[in-house]
Amino acid sequence: MEPGLTSLLSVSIDFETSHLFFPRIIHWLMGGLFALILVLRILPFLASVRRGERTLPILGESFDKFRFFGSLALMAVYFYLMAVVGDLFPYTGYGFLFVSMVFIFLMSLMYMHTRTKRKVMTAAINAIVAPSLAWFILAKLFQITLP
Amino acid sequence: MLDILSLLDITFFLLAALGALVGIIFGAIPGMTATMAVAVCLPLTYALGLHHGLALLLGLYVGGISGGMVPAVLLNIPGTPSSITTTFDGYPMAQKGEGERALRVCVVASVVGGLISAIVLFLFAPILAEFSIKFSYVEKFLIILLALTVIASMSSNMLVGIFSGVLGIWLSLIGTYSISDGGNGKTRLMFDFLEPYLFEGFSLLPVLIGIFGIATILLEAEKGVKSGLSGKTINIGKGGGFSFSLFKGRATNLVRSSFIGTFVGMLPGVGGSAASVLAYTQEKNLSRDSSEMGKGAPQGLIASESANNALTGGALIPLLSLGIPGDSTTAVLIGAFTLQGIQVGPLFIPENADTWYVMMTALVFANIVMFFLMFYAIKHIAKVVLVPKYILYPLIVMMCVVGAYAINYGIMFDVWTLLIFGVLGYLIQKVGLEVAPLIIGFILGSQAEVYFVKSLESFGTFAIFFTKSPIAMVLWGLIAASVAFSVVMGLKSRARRRGEES
Repeated sequence: MEPGLTSLLSVSIDFETSHLFFPRIIHWLMGGLFALILVLRILPFLASVRRGERTLPILGESFDKFRFFGSLALMAVYFYLMAVVGDLFPYTGYGFLFVSMVFIFLMSLMYMHTRTKRKVMTAAINAIVAPSLAWFILAKLFQITLP
Repeated sequence: MLDILSLLDITFFLLAALGALVGIIFGAIPGMTATMAVAVCLPLTYALGLHHGLALLLGLYVGGISGGMVPAVLLNIPGTPSSITTTFDGYPMAQKGEGERALRVCVVASVVGGLISAIVLFLFAPILAEFSIKFSYVEKFLIILLALTVIASMSSNMLVGIFSGVLGIWLSLIGTYSISDGGNGKTRLMFDFLEPYLFEGFSLLPVLIGIFGIATILLEAEKGVKSGLSGKTINIGKGGGFSFSLFKGRATNLVRSSFIGTFVGMLPGVGGSAASVLAYTQEKNLSRDSSEMGKGAPQGLIASESANNALTGGALIPLLSLGIPGDSTTAVLIGAFTLQGIQVGPLFIPENADTWYVMMTALVFANIVMFFLMFYAIKHIAKVVLVPKYILYPLIVMMCVVGAYAINYGIMFDVWTLLIFGVLGYLIQKVGLEVAPLIIGFILGSQAEVYFVKSLESFGTFAIFFTKSPIAMVLWGLIAASVAFSVVMGLKSRARRRGEES
């Protein structure tokens, strides 16, 4: 091999900063790829959006805002409260058990399009039975840690 | 041999059967996939031990892939992406009142596909493993590079596919450069205040469960969680009408499609739809009597279903011999192995011969159970298609939470990881990035780093990646070939589109 090429390809990695070596390469790769995608895909796409041929993802689409943001909010509250209630009864899994019941019931109600008495009753029974069953099998039989 | 028999107790077979049944149900419900079934049921395996856990998970995998045929035939909705071509002939048959007949053809094709791929797996994986045992870090890095290139070149747009893969690698680098891997133990790619949470990076399973569980629910929530079944009735038709003579003269189709499925399954990150579409088009091109295909011909069902079930064995080949998952479901299986403290890779089969035979037994048994369950109980199974989503989805979220929380024995941050990657997975799919390359990049990223940096540290030149061994050169050849393949396919489809426009 040519000596010039050899020196070009040779590399020495300082151990102190070796944790940054690979990420730096990845950053350059990501940057380069993003620039390519920007030019080849995103700009043409935006141009067609401006001409009104296509719509932006998420922003330009019609979507069920209530159920989407409702799901997000409900999950966040569910995760948060589970830990809070779990801390009140440590090592019992009650945080999981009780908060799951409430969560499952509320989420079922939110996803229902028409609420009949029968449907709500099914959802309520489901919300009580399913977490109890999961809690019993996992926490009691299998000794798996639950919040 | 007796050691292995002693591992196969009654619980083992019951779990495999249970897995197959639950998998079929997951697969049969539109919007829920085999990957989701495996991800959601993972917490059950925490307490089971390796062999029992694997029996359950492999049952779920086989059942989940097969279950997709039910709504495909009865409702014209593919239950899993891999049964998309089943709708072409299955639904017309169901409309003619031949639903049960169509489903039974699918079941037989599925079991043949599953078993053929299991045989290929059994014969091929040990050979590949033995071959790759001699690989040094250089070849291992190139194998990962090849895997990512193949995934990217199979994506709808290669550039986007590569970017998704690199993004996955980036996400996997968050945390320390682990000392146990020969790193310096320093953290990178995050803010200092996150160090208590992210010191070891994001845990694999919460990431996977978030992307395949929570993100799916968000995508459905955005559409309003409609059942999509209003006005649709299940028409399974009268019993009977099925006989094995339907398979007369279809052996070539059956075997060809099974091998196509197995081969596509082997390619890392390539999903099931590619396998069944390829098998279907091959049958259409090569068969002498393909004119009825698309109007309700059993041969279309045979091609589609044998190919998509053959994926299972195929996808396990790179997983068990190289440690590279063949599809997103096997990516979740990697998590299950890690959980049990077992590293999958070239040494897996030689060092865990028992586990290997146990897995093969579970795979074959799950296929047989799937066959009997679906062949004789299809009428009852078909009803789960109509289970309302407002009951199911909250339960899935609950199971996701259990899985994420229990994985590291009670870390609340893992549950938040679930939500973070649920939202990320949603955004990724909305802006058009690809999930499969991202996941594979995430799984292989930290290994890629170690192999890459260590190779350079010991040899001191980038040239080593080209000159280390003949195998390295062959791997570069394959990488170049997969890029070329993708470019040529891209140009062809562009030319075709131009031709259609003008």
